[in-house]
Amino acid sequence: MWLWYDWRAAAVADERGNILDIDEWSGWGDLDRLCARLDMVSHQEITPEVEVLLSRFPDVQVRIHGDPDLPNADWPLPSAGAIECLDKAAVLISKRGVDAAAGDPDRRLEHILRASDELRAAYITIEGRLIEWVGLFLPEARFERERAALADKVLDSESLADLSKLLDIGMPERGPSAKEWQCLGDWARSACEIKIRLESMEDVVRELGASHLPSLSALLGPILASRLCVEAHGRARLARLPAGTMQILGAEKAFFSHLKTGTPPPKHGHIFMHPWVSHSPRWIRGKISRMLAAKATIAVRCDEFGGQLWTEEAIAEIADRVETIREENPYPSQR
Amino acid sequence: MGKKRRLSGAVLIDGRSIWTRNACPKVSQYGESLRRFQGVEHRRWDPTRSKLGAALARARHTQYDLLPEEGSTCLYLGAGHGTSLSHIHDQVCGPDNQMAGRIIAVDLSPRCLRDLIHMAKIRPGLVPILGDARNFSAWGVMVSTKVDWLFQDVSQAGQVGIFIDAVNRFLKPGGKGLLSLKAASERWTGQGERAVFESVAEQLLEAGFTIEEQINLHGLEDNHSLFFIYN
Repeated sequence: MWLWYDWRAAAVADERGNILDIDEWSGWGDLDRLCARLDMVSHQEITPEVEVLLSRFPDVQVRIHGDPDLPNADWPLPSAGAIECLDKAAVLISKRGVDAAAGDPDRRLEHILRASDELRAAYITIEGRLIEWVGLFLPEARFERERAALADKVLDSESLADLSKLLDIGMPERGPSAKEWQCLGDWARSACEIKIRLESMEDVVRELGASHLPSLSALLGPILASRLCVEAHGRARLARLPAGTMQILGAEKAFFSHLKTGTPPPKHGHIFMHPWVSHSPRWIRGKISRMLAAKATIAVRCDEFGGQLWTEEAIAEIADRVETIREENPYPSQR
Repeated sequence: MGKKRRLSGAVLIDGRSIWTRNACPKVSQYGESLRRFQGVEHRRWDPTRSKLGAALARARHTQYDLLPEEGSTCLYLGAGHGTSLSHIHDQVCGPDNQMAGRIIAVDLSPRCLRDLIHMAKIRPGLVPILGDARNFSAWGVMVSTKVDWLFQDVSQAGQVGIFIDAVNRFLKPGGKGLLSLKAASERWTGQGERAVFESVAEQLLEAGFTIEEQINLHGLEDNHSLFFIYN
């Protein structure tokens, strides 16, 4: 004997498909209860109607609607009105699912990180042009130290003469017209504004990264951790990557050119941004990034699968290991 | 100007282009052009953007059978942004769902669902569902009755297996099933895409379906073929 059920009803039939008993649920007019009911059935839970019928027919095989085992029978399918309600509930459930996607830190990180990358690229071009522009009018000026402060200084000065006084250099014979100077000032203002926006964006990335990937952030810093997470399309995927992939994540171009044409393989991808790698001598960067990537895979797995958070001591141990590698290899190997 | 002919109440072929009667007047769903034929607004069905549109343009002898009947119940797996879906809606439901059709559209991506939910607001009869097309148990409960027409376009490995299971689970006996197959998603055997298509046809026959036509979409949608079967 078979017990058939769907979200609205349950029925018992014998092997030849004769319906023996039916129990129906009539509460489907209420959208919230219907949603809860659909959620229940989609998780393969047993509805109250099934329980009622099970108490009457203890030895039946329970199957959900649509199961190929079920014999053909005149199952009590929902009426047109019930299907209309079902459709409304289905749309509501989908809406809730889409709303839930907004809570997904992977997607949020992706947008803010990519946005801050785009803004940084814009900032670098705008700031570079500002330096060149001011340098054209003030050939004596040197900006090595106070490059970043130049935009503020331009904004503070009324004219080129003011600026030359601020920078403590001589005033050249030729200068921009008043309108031209105005444009230069506007350009400096946009550089300032972008810088402020960039900082607040990166703060958000740090915050999100540190809460989403606490152990990995402790090891690599929140921005690098977020970048790896975005590059791997989410924490769940990042946690499933082998260390070798983690090591070259972000160096896909070099890696595939290695596979295709046999150029030297990349030794580091985004992980190069970490000072342990980038501030080490060239000949040990590969060793350090390999070790660091291996540690990073463990850290992100702790984050994803609910392991223990990494402590300061654990990271200090890795820092010691980096020191040892540096001491062991003071000179490039001779080949 | 080519010769005009109607495939159904809502679908019109004018020379080489396909048009469907717009169920939602003045709205262009994905930037397609709108035009009036005998005072009724139609939307152009772009065959390079919709695999179903491409199949309709390429079909040799099943052009009149490919689309679902007006007012039928349809299941669309892998709805994406709803390009094909909007034209199916024109055909099955019509303005304000006059024809009492029902289209259940399943897609995995919340981004796509966002567009579909928006579309469902202005096109009654459309039921978007967020779910994995492979995992029937999670959303199968929302498909209460068997459907008349099933379309699958999921572009992932094992498409045929999913299709056969879906047809057995959801399609009425005698219903129409359409499988849009992307050869590049299947395991590459090194014998070219023709071999992939042949093995798929074999699997479909083995599952007990009758293949009405295999439509090669080459030129409109490369590496794709559409299988039209009856359950």
